[in-house]
Amino acid sequence: MEELTYNEKRLMVALNTISDGVPAVLAGELNTTEEAVVQFAHLCADKGIATLERTVRVDYVLTDEGKHYSALGLPERQVYASFEGEIPMKDLQAHPLSRIAVGWMKKKGWITIDKGVVKKTGEAPEGDDERALCDPSAGGEGMAELIRRGLVEEREKVSYRITITPRGRQLVADGLDLREEVGAITREQIISGAWKELNLRRYSVGKLPKKVWPGKVHPYQHLIDEMRQILLEMGFEEMQGSIIQSSFWNFDALFQPQDHPAREMQDTFFLAEEATLPDGWEAVRDVHEHGGTTSSSGWGGIWNQDKARQKVLRTHTTGLSIQHLTTNPEPPVKAFCIGRVYRREAIDPTHTPEFEQLEGIVMDEGVSFRHLMGFLKEFYARMGFENVRFRPGYFPYTEPSVEPEVWVDGLGWVELGGAGIFREEVTAPWGITTPVLAWGLGVSRVAMLRMGLTDLRQLYRSDIDWIKEYPFYAGGRI
Amino acid sequence: MPIIHLPYNYLEELTGTDRKTIIERLPMIGADIERFEDDHTDVEFFPDRPDLFSTEGVARAMRGFLGMETGCPHYTVAPSGVTFSIDPKLEGIRPFLGSAVIRNVSLDSERIETLMGLQEALHWAVGRGRGKVAIGVHDMDTVTGPFAYIASPRTRSFVPLDFEEEMTLDEIIQRHPKGIDYAHIVDQFDLMPLIVDTQDNVLSFPPIINGELTKVTGKTKNILLDCTGTDERAVITAVNIICTALAEGGATIESVEVNGTPMPSLAPRTRRVSVDECTRLLGIELDAPAMAALLAKMRMGAHPVGDRYLDVTIPCYRADIMHDWDVFEDVAIAYGFGNFDAELPASFTIGREHPVNIIAGAVRRIVAGLGFVEMMPFTLTSERVLFSNMQREPAPGALRILHPISEEQTTVRTDILPLLMETLQINHHRELPQRIFSTGDVVEGEETFQKVAAVSIHTDADFSEIYATADALLRELGLVYTVEESGDPAFIDGRRGDIIIEGQKAGVFGEVSPAVILNFELDQPVAALELDLRVLRA
Repeated sequence: MEELTYNEKRLMVALNTISDGVPAVLAGELNTTEEAVVQFAHLCADKGIATLERTVRVDYVLTDEGKHYSALGLPERQVYASFEGEIPMKDLQAHPLSRIAVGWMKKKGWITIDKGVVKKTGEAPEGDDERALCDPSAGGEGMAELIRRGLVEEREKVSYRITITPRGRQLVADGLDLREEVGAITREQIISGAWKELNLRRYSVGKLPKKVWPGKVHPYQHLIDEMRQILLEMGFEEMQGSIIQSSFWNFDALFQPQDHPAREMQDTFFLAEEATLPDGWEAVRDVHEHGGTTSSSGWGGIWNQDKARQKVLRTHTTGLSIQHLTTNPEPPVKAFCIGRVYRREAIDPTHTPEFEQLEGIVMDEGVSFRHLMGFLKEFYARMGFENVRFRPGYFPYTEPSVEPEVWVDGLGWVELGGAGIFREEVTAPWGITTPVLAWGLGVSRVAMLRMGLTDLRQLYRSDIDWIKEYPFYAGGRI
Repeated sequence: MPIIHLPYNYLEELTGTDRKTIIERLPMIGADIERFEDDHTDVEFFPDRPDLFSTEGVARAMRGFLGMETGCPHYTVAPSGVTFSIDPKLEGIRPFLGSAVIRNVSLDSERIETLMGLQEALHWAVGRGRGKVAIGVHDMDTVTGPFAYIASPRTRSFVPLDFEEEMTLDEIIQRHPKGIDYAHIVDQFDLMPLIVDTQDNVLSFPPIINGELTKVTGKTKNILLDCTGTDERAVITAVNIICTALAEGGATIESVEVNGTPMPSLAPRTRRVSVDECTRLLGIELDAPAMAALLAKMRMGAHPVGDRYLDVTIPCYRADIMHDWDVFEDVAIAYGFGNFDAELPASFTIGREHPVNIIAGAVRRIVAGLGFVEMMPFTLTSERVLFSNMQREPAPGALRILHPISEEQTTVRTDILPLLMETLQINHHRELPQRIFSTGDVVEGEETFQKVAAVSIHTDADFSEIYATADALLRELGLVYTVEESGDPAFIDGRRGDIIIEGQKAGVFGEVSPAVILNFELDQPVAALELDLRVLRA
């Protein structure tokens, strides 16, 4: 049996001596209210150590109007008494109660009305209603009429009788700890050692607590930090750069031809501002026009400086990678970046004009396509994608290019990012002769897979309840 | 990317094997299969391989990849006797023309569909929306050579394709659906490109529309091809891809003399590549014959020159081969991406977090520790949200996007606080209190830098709460600061403070003005802070 509370124990002790438990008596005994006694008794009854008998009695109580007529008589009796024999209606109407009374007198057969004259029939016995009005506790036939007339109210009176069961008697006989229960422990009780003697109130563990909500890092940021952690562990240095880039670094330095569709205003956010070209831009021009010093034919045509000066919101972070290499030309270089990139897309559940991209580069002597695959496999494995396959891909700035796909249960092979070796047209203008492995990954795609999102907007226009409910530690890496 | 429609029957007929084998291996030459239908499959190829934008081109590549027919395909071109002249006045308008005669075509509906599909895909990938190259195919037996590519007055008229009445060139660019779509390419010129035959019949108004006269139908036996454009190399690429695709389908190609020069030649080009450079790049062991055999599967000819070099013959339709490494990628594809033994390199490097993110991480831990929930709002926003809703003057360094896609996203944010107010608006129906924060990039003029902002909304949100929050944040960041009365109109006068660090204003906090609260359609007190994180730079 569940442990008894202090109050339940006190009730049981009292019941053991008082054979017929009336709440009022028990309340006096326990120095509490009748309501509390009934509540304790309920709990004891649930445990089978007491019974609680509930009786409902209906009392009839005069309303204020009823009390008034109880002293003076019903309106029809008062008016009936106000005249003898017969009286013209218009005279009778001078009586303040006549409007109520005339109808009732007629209904009860005490009067007749003929040609404007009210005449007593001579029969006006005391009715059940009048007897009931004198003594409401007597009840009787007239009571229903009085209730309808709003002169009497029904009031339910609930009474309880509490008795102890044999099991309860046994419990009391076995002895109960009747020390007072304590809720909070005080400083004094802790220091003095009094806490050892306290009867601490037991709390129900089955009842859930009120929810509290901690401050927390956004679940998406948490995922980003997890990816950053993986790359830091793999020996990558973190890059960071401006959201605003020149077309030169964003496109031209990456051998993206000047008439590439990505460079049109439908696909990229352009700004009115213009950038200055960095030292060494001529080599980029040459590689576009005829391949420069490489075995490339280049794109042909005339490379336009003005087009390269246009500023854009970066469409990828690859422009940061090539800038990083121009300032860090000595191998080995291993660097990564996770940053917002911008594409001119309308907002819908699967497109947002800005989203995060992860970018990694490895420049080292002797690295090859095989090592690129090695890095990709390692990274995806650490992200929890054990099964990776590679398919041919195409990016203007890498050759060979590869599209990694990961196996996701329930979805099959899912394309997750792109990779390749920087084209010589990208590295040669800066005198970089060591191969550069590069890969990129749409972080929001991973977020959708990981968090089971169907709407990307949840990441950027978050419902606060979603973040509150989303576990901070959701089982770690995918 | 264009969707290429591959009818199974035609694909099987051309490839010489069953659809199951083809479909299984297609992804490994770079196809992305979009969907399977009863009689065809739709696939996507990368834009650098327009030679795969037709059933014929896919079959040609698959025969090599499956080892059924390897090496560089050879196409014979006999002279047709047809001549074409180019009007010198087209210089500066649309100067280049490529042409060919394609005889003995048998165009059933599948073949017409694949030809039209190829034409559209080439317009996109090579023609850049017809500006760089536009392609016309004509039933040659309806017209008579020699042909002329001329610069015509805009008043010239003819019956455009699928129309019954003559229209002038001006009318076409104003009223014809294709005219409206492509008018921007030629509208700025007084004269417009036109192709006519010897009897002055109009074949085509490139890059807009062909004439009805030369419409290609199921009965067409001989085709005259025109490719006009602004880039000679792209024009030739388009001619080569169409001619070789139709030749794969059984047609014969004949050359046309354009201004006295016969074209197309459809001859391959050669490139000498290094075996060592290839094996270094790919990280696999290959000798010259093995590498040659792999290239043969990719429909290239390759002949060892000693042990260390190969002379590679590249088919004319492979416009994507610009550099030796493009050849090496084909070696990798033929070798099979799945056959590479992935490996991590041995060299040792040390990971290093960027200082900006070290600071951002510290800020996140502190503010989250103070009970705030992080948000990651967009960095693109509007001047309404950034400035007018906040009752603030526009920041001088705010950058406007030239062609915004919506009025909601016209400007790069200069502050984060307004975005948090907007986030509160989004969460208006959620339980209070709400305490949210965000840290990240803002842009002013040339500079991208970082800020943090935090807001608290509930019935008792006030100055003391946010002052205490700002104080805790600044203390935990190790910053010594003073506070002065602020004049920031986003906040209530007398309940706002500027955070001063080393004599410079570095942030602001206070009770947000009720007018601002209402501008964001909120109705409870809001207390907010914002701090420029440049104060933490060493």
